[in-house]
Amino acid sequence: MIGYLTTIMTLVSIAVLIAMALNVQWGMCGMVNFGLSGFVALGAYTTAILMLNGTGVFMAVAAAIVICSVMGALLSLISLRLSDDYLAIVTLGFGEVIRLITLNEDWLTGGALGLPGIPRPLVDYIGTDHYEKFYLAVCVLVVLLIFIGLELATRAPFGRALRAIRDDEVVAASLGKNVLLMRVKAFAIGGGITGIAGSLQAFQFSYIDPSQFSAIMTVYAFMAVIAGGRGSHSGLILGACSIMVLLEATRFLKDVVNILDNSQIAAIRLILIGGGLILLLIYRPQGLIREYRATAPAAPKNVPHDRKE
Amino acid sequence: MTAPLLTASDLRAGYGGDDIVNGVSLSVVPGEIFTIIGPNGSGKSTLIKVLAGIVPVRKGTIALFGKDVTEFKAPQRIGEGMAYVPQEFNVFRNMTIAENLKLSTEFLGLRGRAGYLERQRVLDLFPDIASRQNLLAGNLSGGQRQMLAFACALISSPDILLLDEPSAGLSPKLVIEIFDKVKAVNALGTTVIMVEQNVAMALPYSDRALILVNGSVRYQSDATALRERGDLHELFLRES
Amino acid sequence: MGQLIINGLGTGLIIALPAMALSLTFGILRFPNFAIGAMLTMAAYMAWSFNTILGMSLILAAALTILLFPLVALICDRTVFKPLRTRGPVTLLVASMGLSFVLENICRLFYGNDARSFDIPLARPYRVMGLRINYELLVTAGVSISAMAMVYVILQHTSLGRAMRAVADNPNLAAARGIDAGWVIGATWCLSGMLIAASGVLIGMDRAIDPQLGWNYIIVCFAAAILGGLGSPVGAVIGALTLGIVGELATLIVDPNYRSAIAFLVVALVLLVRPTGLLGRREIVK
Repeated sequence: MIGYLTTIMTLVSIAVLIAMALNVQWGMCGMVNFGLSGFVALGAYTTAILMLNGTGVFMAVAAAIVICSVMGALLSLISLRLSDDYLAIVTLGFGEVIRLITLNEDWLTGGALGLPGIPRPLVDYIGTDHYEKFYLAVCVLVVLLIFIGLELATRAPFGRALRAIRDDEVVAASLGKNVLLMRVKAFAIGGGITGIAGSLQAFQFSYIDPSQFSAIMTVYAFMAVIAGGRGSHSGLILGACSIMVLLEATRFLKDVVNILDNSQIAAIRLILIGGGLILLLIYRPQGLIREYRATAPAAPKNVPHDRKE
Repeated sequence: MTAPLLTASDLRAGYGGDDIVNGVSLSVVPGEIFTIIGPNGSGKSTLIKVLAGIVPVRKGTIALFGKDVTEFKAPQRIGEGMAYVPQEFNVFRNMTIAENLKLSTEFLGLRGRAGYLERQRVLDLFPDIASRQNLLAGNLSGGQRQMLAFACALISSPDILLLDEPSAGLSPKLVIEIFDKVKAVNALGTTVIMVEQNVAMALPYSDRALILVNGSVRYQSDATALRERGDLHELFLRES
Repeated sequence: MGQLIINGLGTGLIIALPAMALSLTFGILRFPNFAIGAMLTMAAYMAWSFNTILGMSLILAAALTILLFPLVALICDRTVFKPLRTRGPVTLLVASMGLSFVLENICRLFYGNDARSFDIPLARPYRVMGLRINYELLVTAGVSISAMAMVYVILQHTSLGRAMRAVADNPNLAAARGIDAGWVIGATWCLSGMLIAASGVLIGMDRAIDPQLGWNYIIVCFAAAILGGLGSPVGAVIGALTLGIVGELATLIVDPNYRSAIAFLVVALVLLVRPTGLLGRREIVK
């Protein structure tokens, strides 16, 4: 049971990281990223391939961060002059391209079989007995560091400017070129965080394959961001955790209802994820934890509304 | 005094956050030209959109001929005798003049012959556009476009016509032409409410005027009385 | 080469229908409907159920699907999109992603992950001047071209079409002219639903039916609609045909598995050079 909990909590930490990346891009800046799973995969494969070729942990993770940031910057540049709808499509397309590459380039990514035997950092010192707990601690630490970094950035002029861009197109227009640059920066920062998430994922099972990076990852991140209240990093952690608990609970569904087979249970979980996302958007656009957000400095004054025309 | 045609009481409305129209009451009597003026961003355009049923009312009521139409959306208010001409983007640019006119009758239950007759009646008022019906509305000049917009609005034979800045973007000569047209339409029995930025040009054509500042009524009077007051500028600028 | 172009046209004709549907709903509602892939999947399963479970002929099954699927589209609109209508395009597109998950997994729940196919006899391809032309290709061409013609006639020559163009162009003005937007939105979803249904059946004839069916087409559909300038149904058709042929020709140099990647690259390039798409109008850009 402890082992199960440790694993779940590690996975939650990684999911929180991905949601944080989305929170910078979408929550703070209003830019949709439907290719999150592609970014995480890019980070994970970068780390894995480098590690398997004997690079050090630090280099492997740094490379994942850099590559994902650059990719984020490039994608936002393509759709810089376009409305957010196009960015959604461009990122979705990017995610698909990454998926196809991981599936088809056997020489590099191992294809559908994936890459096994990724060395886990410091395993010789920690030993395998307590490694899972150690790794959980590392993940939680990373989440905390990034959380603090984002909180600071949110309060800094950069964060205020990002929210101003999101909430008020007049302000955005008067800032002119700066806006474009800041949007690119926000997307690059989000990309970098997904790179870290990818690295952590690669070390977690010391094995990766394309099926780990499905679109579920993306939809889950959207749910977490909405549940936590867009733009609020602390709300997001609570939101992500509570949703994960709810979803994990559905795993036990098959003990109760035994007429359903495994794939049906999986389908029901996914229906719940998609339906939950829609319900949150309709009934709780300001986040699940309203009281909390009232004191959160990052909270935008109004629920973002129609800004077209 | 005659019974009011349109009354609005304590209207509040806006988009998203705060109210832009902040408790406006007004009443318009049959046959008059009632002009709403005010500085930029005072909520004039939102107010007329609220009256037209484009922007929903948050608080307050709107009555037409004593009937409560607050919950009616724009298409239903047409049935109650109201017509609205938006500012600038007031014709479908990618359709021809004929299509624009046709579209204005189709959804009023005026199909076939009845629609045709209505269109002919209105076109008599606007000979300028009647002669070139296959032209794309997007290729019309500003003045002609405004005329077409009027024509489309008048097809429903409205009792009251709402105009959002009819003079916007037009040369002074055309502005006079447009206001003359408004007067002519008014003379045929249609009550007019218009929002105008161009106070100097609009007031001589108006019977009564209302000054809107920060979404509430600053001043309301006879148009002639207002013209004779010298402190119009101050009425505009003084912060409440 | 000639064979590749014919195959490409076939693919293009299939994609053209959902691309048009995408453009239609985008024109009216101003958000890209990401659930279109899952809708294709669901339509294919619907037709498959009529065809295999109820034993109808494929033509009857297809007709019934085209008739009933608009209902599914309407239900999706009423339950998901209508409550969010005033919240802006980004919220709507995120919701459409959620809807996509729900629809796809409803199919998975009832039909499982196994691949299915329609109960139709295999026909031998015709040979014309050395080119193989499938019976399916002819059906696809017939259905797709008549659907396009129908959409064109509706848009250009009926009062519904005028109303749709009016709401797409300027919703406030349309309301001021007495056009009930709710009615136009409903009609648009019905029309899109019919196009999606027809296309779902055609895709089902072309390949196996599984819960991932629509997902394989979503990028290409969007690419086609963007290429034609989102919101322009005629543009969407041209975009679809172009992408179909380009995608097929590209298999000469790259692995066929990368077809949707190619569609994506084409769109990324086009967006860089011409942000409004090949036929798009300026107003689409913010």
